[in-house]
Amino acid sequence: MSKNEKRKSSLLLTIRRLFGIREKETDLLKEEQMQSPFRTMVRNFVTNKVAMFGMIVFLLIFGTVFIGSAIYPLDVNQQDTTQQNISPGFNMLSIPSALKDNAQDVAVGSTFAVGVDRDGKLYQWGKLTEKLQKMPDADKTYVQVSAGLNHALALTDEGKVVTWGNDRLGLANIPFEVKDATDIKQIAAGYQVSFVVTESGDVYYWGNPNALTISIPEELQGTVDKLVLNLTTAFVLTKDGRVVMLSNSATPFANIPEEIQGTVVDIAANDRAVAAVTSDGQVHVWGTNDYGLFEVPEAAQGKAASISGGRFHFTVITQDGTVVSWGNDLYGQSSAPELQNVVSTDSGYFQSYAIDEDGHLTGWGLKGYLFGTDQYGRDVALRMLAGGRMTMTIGAIAVIISTIIGVIIGGISGYYGGWLDNLLMRFTEIVMSLPFMPLAIVLSAIVGNRLSEVGRISMIMVILGLLSWPSLARLVRAQILSAREQEYVTAAKAMGIREFTLIFRHILPNVITVVIVNTTLAFASCLLTESSLSFLGFGVVEPSPTWGNMLNSAQNSDVIADMWWRWVFPSIALSLAVVSINLIGDGMRDAIDPKSNER
Amino acid sequence: MAKYLIKRFLYMIFVFFIVSILMFAITKSVPGDPALKMVNQQLASTDPARYQIALEEARQSLGLDQPLPIQYVKWMANTLSGNFGFSLQYRRPVIEVVGTPMFNTVALNLCSLILVFAITIPLGIISAVKKRSAFDQAVQVGSIIGYSLPTFVIALLFIYLFALKIQIFPISGSATPGTDYTGLQRVGDYLYHMALPLLVSTFCSLGGILRYVRAAMIDALREDYIRTARAKGLREKVVIYSHAFRNALIPIVTIITSWFVSIFGGSVVIESIFLWNGLGNTILTALRNLDSALYLAMMMFYVIITLIGNLLMDIAYCIADPRVKLQ
Repeated sequence: MSKNEKRKSSLLLTIRRLFGIREKETDLLKEEQMQSPFRTMVRNFVTNKVAMFGMIVFLLIFGTVFIGSAIYPLDVNQQDTTQQNISPGFNMLSIPSALKDNAQDVAVGSTFAVGVDRDGKLYQWGKLTEKLQKMPDADKTYVQVSAGLNHALALTDEGKVVTWGNDRLGLANIPFEVKDATDIKQIAAGYQVSFVVTESGDVYYWGNPNALTISIPEELQGTVDKLVLNLTTAFVLTKDGRVVMLSNSATPFANIPEEIQGTVVDIAANDRAVAAVTSDGQVHVWGTNDYGLFEVPEAAQGKAASISGGRFHFTVITQDGTVVSWGNDLYGQSSAPELQNVVSTDSGYFQSYAIDEDGHLTGWGLKGYLFGTDQYGRDVALRMLAGGRMTMTIGAIAVIISTIIGVIIGGISGYYGGWLDNLLMRFTEIVMSLPFMPLAIVLSAIVGNRLSEVGRISMIMVILGLLSWPSLARLVRAQILSAREQEYVTAAKAMGIREFTLIFRHILPNVITVVIVNTTLAFASCLLTESSLSFLGFGVVEPSPTWGNMLNSAQNSDVIADMWWRWVFPSIALSLAVVSINLIGDGMRDAIDPKSNER
Repeated sequence: MAKYLIKRFLYMIFVFFIVSILMFAITKSVPGDPALKMVNQQLASTDPARYQIALEEARQSLGLDQPLPIQYVKWMANTLSGNFGFSLQYRRPVIEVVGTPMFNTVALNLCSLILVFAITIPLGIISAVKKRSAFDQAVQVGSIIGYSLPTFVIALLFIYLFALKIQIFPISGSATPGTDYTGLQRVGDYLYHMALPLLVSTFCSLGGILRYVRAAMIDALREDYIRTARAKGLREKVVIYSHAFRNALIPIVTIITSWFVSIFGGSVVIESIFLWNGLGNTILTALRNLDSALYLAMMMFYVIITLIGNLLMDIAYCIADPRVKLQ
């Protein structure tokens, strides 16, 4: 055996001895007798069903949180006003079976969709508010539908407009001109506003006058062919193929290309850009080039027949009846299926629907949210993944800090004793007499305000770590004190073993199990402390999520009662994590402590 | 014993000063100038010169113009003579501000303490006597879950169950708004508002104390004198309640002293959720409003409470178990 190998094997041996693992298999009887304390602990732990259950639950949570947040990364600043407080569930694309093969018209609202079949019957599906559920008269025959943020419009075969859903902000007050009109051609519901275009080319609108700043020039009345709108403005296509914006703002939406005027056959608007299809099948896009909206796909360019727009995407029907979508693909709304003979589409918000000439209705895009959305329209499930990772990381690092300090101080104090022990123990007592929660709040309020987000998060780890080590230090000191007096240490000393070897080979193995148990239990309490701090608004602050601060906004009775998904899911996750860690810690304590094993 | 107490007391004073310097330093590093709150802010735009003078005067009246060590000495002298400063937020002396919150906190926590022990002691004894039975296992798992659940999760759940689904308790506050009750009616209304925070705070402490009682009882039951008592032919009831429980009380009594801190300190989380006007809520609002005199006084109060609690714990050990010698 060469010298190098020998050294390596002696290091391995040290590690093995540290955990009491023996290489040589002895016979069964001896094995039973000679079982090392570490093996006894492992066996005790594995046979403890409750502790193993906690272990499995914790590993599941841990894996889900870390792997899940790596697969589905969270954009912490992503918000959407149209998707606020949506309940959990995936029914946004569940088209009623009666409509599926018999569709005439379909319209997409923020979280729901409305359809009408060829017999003039109305359908709606998705997340419906209480007001939306009160559908209009089923006796009438409907021909056209339109859906907005939280209200919907329908046109009867007699040319009457009905509205349902949100009735505030003047949405229920259909103007007399519209009530009297018999030649309504198009209805359009938008963000707190409704529009009507008549065959004679007139435009009428009603609703919240502050939601969109619309001004319809006098000379435009009588020439309008089609109207499209987004959350901020509206556009009309005139009968002579011109595009006119209905508000006088200097937004990028106003940069309508001059060369297309007069040749436009269809227009569509989303909340970043506006697109127009000219008579030669070309698609022209202007506005803001987000999500690659300006890059019209090859399959659509030059072959486009008509177009519709969602919140951040466009869908085009080509001249040969296929559909092409592009733009934001967060929920798959830009991944159009391969369809044939499509005659009409409607896109809205995060979905698109297409109807072919046989009346088959196909939808793609946002199906719903697993755990719903919060008050800013953020996906609760995604935030829980990222929040869980944040909570666990903070807890783990805080525990590592406190364990290192605790072991060093407790170890020095216990091993060397004397004045050093006295000094360190007095220091420990001072730290112990600091009121934990108030001080943590004060520190995070004072120091945290000056720091960046990352700085603030690391500060919380440090505060938790710096305030929670004293109990561990005392424990380690007591363990070392008792180990120091044991006969085997005296024997080792008498044999003249080096101090380093004495500490690491003889004393440390007797202390390390206690440290591991304590660390596990401290991890649970760090999770709790961090969550409490964040819950009170003094820990990690928005927009970064943690399980604690996700519950911060749930401190009012409306949320607790009606938006249960906003607090129930983070609560369950946090509770499960802490309970399982405590079960593990408890099982480990029982496993290492033969006295508690008798209980 | 007397020698130990004197030594311990001197040591407490030493710790108190160290911590007070620490707290003072932390408070002084709070961003924001408390003098700004005392000056009319409109003056800054209308008359900058007079604004500066007013600001200087305010700083002088708060003693902010002096170097930090002198500020500390002055503050300490004031604190020791019972003048805890002036709360900028309430515009009243701190000592007047904390009166009501202190009463509310002590009322809530004392009730909770009584309830917790009334529940945990019998339950802990039964589960220790029937060790490893199904009942014991259930109590064990239940208590782990109980002490693992975050306070605010339990609070949200209880609000949902007992204030929104079944509307039997008010959601928050300590009196029905708009009413002017007197006498018994007022006490009734107060207790009615205290019910939900009391329930939550009791529920949250059950698990930990239950485990402690059970462990103490099991240790006591394992002693030799229990075997002797049983061998003498004493009835099991006498063995458990007279011999074992009395000895198990020793460690239980000592943890009551560790409750001392929370009785006076209050729970920041529970009080802020239920808008219970207690000390925990006071320190939170003081921090949010940067009312430095108030939270500095509160922090020092917490420190004193903790130190006294530690001392009481040591003395309690000594009294409860004569084998423990204080040195």
